[in-house]
Amino acid sequence: MSEFEPKVVAFFCNWCTYGAADLAGVSRLEYPPNFRVVRLPCTGRLNPKFILEAFKRGADGVWISGCHPGDCHYIAGNYHARRKFILLHALLETIGVDPNRLRFSWISSAEANKFQAMAKDVVESVRACGPNLTFRKDDLQLGLAEVA
Amino acid sequence: MPEYLVKENALADFFQVLAKGHRLLAPQGQGDNCQLAVVSGPVSLNYANTHLSPKTVFFPQTEKILAFHKLADKPHYNVYQDLGDHAEPTVIFGIRPCDARGLSVSNKVFQNDRFTDPYWKGKYDQTVKIGLACLDPSPQCFCAAMGGSPFGELGLDVLAYPKAKGLGLKTLTKVGEELIKAAKAEPTDLANELKDLEKKAIAAQGPLDDYQTINKRQIMELYKADHWPNTAEPCLGCGVCTFFCPTCHCFDIQDEANEIGGLRMRNWDTCMSPLFTLHGSGHNPRPSKTERVRQRFMHKLKYIPIKQDGIRGCTGCGRCVVMCPANIDIRSVAALMAQASA
Amino acid sequence: MGNLETITQKIRDKAKNLLSSGQAEVVIGYRQGTIPLVAAPFFARKAEDCDKLVWSSFARLNLANYLPSRKGKVALVAKGCDARSAVGQVTENQFPRENLYILGVPCSGLVDPALVAAKEPRPIREAKETDDAITISGQDFSLDIKKEEVLRRNCRTCSHRTPTLSDELTGPEVPSLQPDDFSDIKDLLAKTPAERLVYFKDLIKDCLRCYACRNACPLCYCPICFVDETRPQWLGKSNDPMDTLTFHLLRGLHCAGRCTACGACETACPVNIKVREFNRVLDRSVQENWSYEPGLAWEQKPPLTVYQPNDPAEFIK
Repeated sequence: MSEFEPKVVAFFCNWCTYGAADLAGVSRLEYPPNFRVVRLPCTGRLNPKFILEAFKRGADGVWISGCHPGDCHYIAGNYHARRKFILLHALLETIGVDPNRLRFSWISSAEANKFQAMAKDVVESVRACGPNLTFRKDDLQLGLAEVA
Repeated sequence: MPEYLVKENALADFFQVLAKGHRLLAPQGQGDNCQLAVVSGPVSLNYANTHLSPKTVFFPQTEKILAFHKLADKPHYNVYQDLGDHAEPTVIFGIRPCDARGLSVSNKVFQNDRFTDPYWKGKYDQTVKIGLACLDPSPQCFCAAMGGSPFGELGLDVLAYPKAKGLGLKTLTKVGEELIKAAKAEPTDLANELKDLEKKAIAAQGPLDDYQTINKRQIMELYKADHWPNTAEPCLGCGVCTFFCPTCHCFDIQDEANEIGGLRMRNWDTCMSPLFTLHGSGHNPRPSKTERVRQRFMHKLKYIPIKQDGIRGCTGCGRCVVMCPANIDIRSVAALMAQASA
Repeated sequence: MGNLETITQKIRDKAKNLLSSGQAEVVIGYRQGTIPLVAAPFFARKAEDCDKLVWSSFARLNLANYLPSRKGKVALVAKGCDARSAVGQVTENQFPRENLYILGVPCSGLVDPALVAAKEPRPIREAKETDDAITISGQDFSLDIKKEEVLRRNCRTCSHRTPTLSDELTGPEVPSLQPDDFSDIKDLLAKTPAERLVYFKDLIKDCLRCYACRNACPLCYCPICFVDETRPQWLGKSNDPMDTLTFHLLRGLHCAGRCTACGACETACPVNIKVREFNRVLDRSVQENWSYEPGLAWEQKPPLTVYQPNDPAEFIK
């Protein structure tokens, strides 16, 4: 297991967490390189199918982060997103996806330290879950295995 | 004498011999769970029909055709690898005559003087098909009206039927004859019994008139009839009728790939979906339910009979009658096609 | 005359009335099916069509499904759940209220043919019904079954049997059952996460991706469904189990807070998948978080189109 480096797909709002990641970078705050960031204009843009697609394609974890309630650049995007998250979180938990694979957070563009801490925490909790073997599309691999 | 008898106490041995050197598929499970499967327990002779049609054996919902990958250490790096036809020597016991007829309709689509589909051919040609005649057709059955019979022989190598104390068999092809002989069935004369039972089973089904009228009508007369919008109105546009139909054979070839390689596969497609005919330009020649529903019934009852010397594309298995969530009953549609004016 | 006959007569009379007065151009109701235990959708446009309309406990499809993008004035025969779906269509701007006349049917639950088949596996050639029993018969047999023994699962937890909003009721109100406590998924929720994943993967293993559940659903009116999108293609077209699971999860999410538990999806499913299991899980969350039930008011907004500044979400860090 020590060999395992988790892959996390991160969806960040352009106006806050993405900026926090930038700030963390220019502030020389170290954080693990295990996530790939997809920049969104707002967490309200996040369609639940993005998250499922990430898992389906083999992500070990997904991290969604946006503006604190009340801080949305578009006034209410994150409020709407929050309702979607509540249902998606409940659904994925119920069907048996480890909740530690899925992280939601609010990080403003000034919170470089929170970003750093959260990044470490996300990667470590996904690492503890191990590789995503149950909630990914593996038919492709199986099909390829048929090739001599 | 091509007829044979297997006594009740010899049935288990009979099935064991059938399974020797072959994969033996037979109906397993009851009701909606009844499916053709590798035989693991006793073979049931008492089922209406398998839930899905036996086309799934020859034409699975997803068939992997070829693979490719981009990893340089693989022997087939950057070369397409043919995944073969997935065929193996098989005996199927318990195909209902309607479904055997359906297979023979599809066989003419997949193997004819213009095309040979290797994936179908491999499986079809390596399979011995033993039918099981219907003594007591279900309420939704209408094979006789479609030119078949509960004791139909088209597409089969052997026709079996349950007897009070065993199994009656009639061999229809050389392959079938050899298989039954090897299984040590007793030769006997069942010709008269077969004829009587067939007459009784046909009598239990509905009338035949509508389909003969449709035969006599011109394509455009049927096509332009004004009942189609009303016929299609309740249709939900799901693909249930096509997926369960023993003669529906349309497919869609898709590639799926990831960063290390990909697969080409062919999947069942359905003419009930608008995507089926959607062009790259955005144009759709069958833009609404009306055209799609009309296509399905015209294909079954008019186009296929023209292409296949009068053999209809519907075999009367009744699956779509039972499965259609909106109860669009092909028998009622046929009646409308027979009556309606353009 | 039993209640069923009275309702049928009322539907026919009213349908004729509505058509002749021009209040409706079409009455969407049910006709007797061509096979036993089925009542099929039927569109009556002329007075003589109206005598084919029936009410029965086999009327399992939700006719509100036919409303979106339909032109003209429609009268809709609707049981409690269907009427709520129709109200939902109006609140979601899929059908204008002024073109809709809801002919509400107080419903005491519909019969699940799978449960009937479990009691009598032989082919059924005829089914008759009275107010509380059905009689099925076939070759050499006849059997009386109490309806309450073979009711669909959703009908057994239905808390709005009488349409809550309608233009007219076709019969006396039916007493409602206890409010839904989601006891049917209690066992499921008690399992471990790993067991639940196995359960859900097993639940959909027979799925053919025919999308009958989607197409029978009055909530699924998108011009292009996400499963049919090609750029990007979210779901593969094969019967890959993960693609299938993704379809069911997203279908569930799209219906969350809008589902009226009409059961049309399970009725339409040709391989008897309990597709509502996904909806049940989500509806439970919706009720817990926002105490929301769809289709109870004309002005109600579905929970995912609105928000509260203090929506509960402790899991967001």
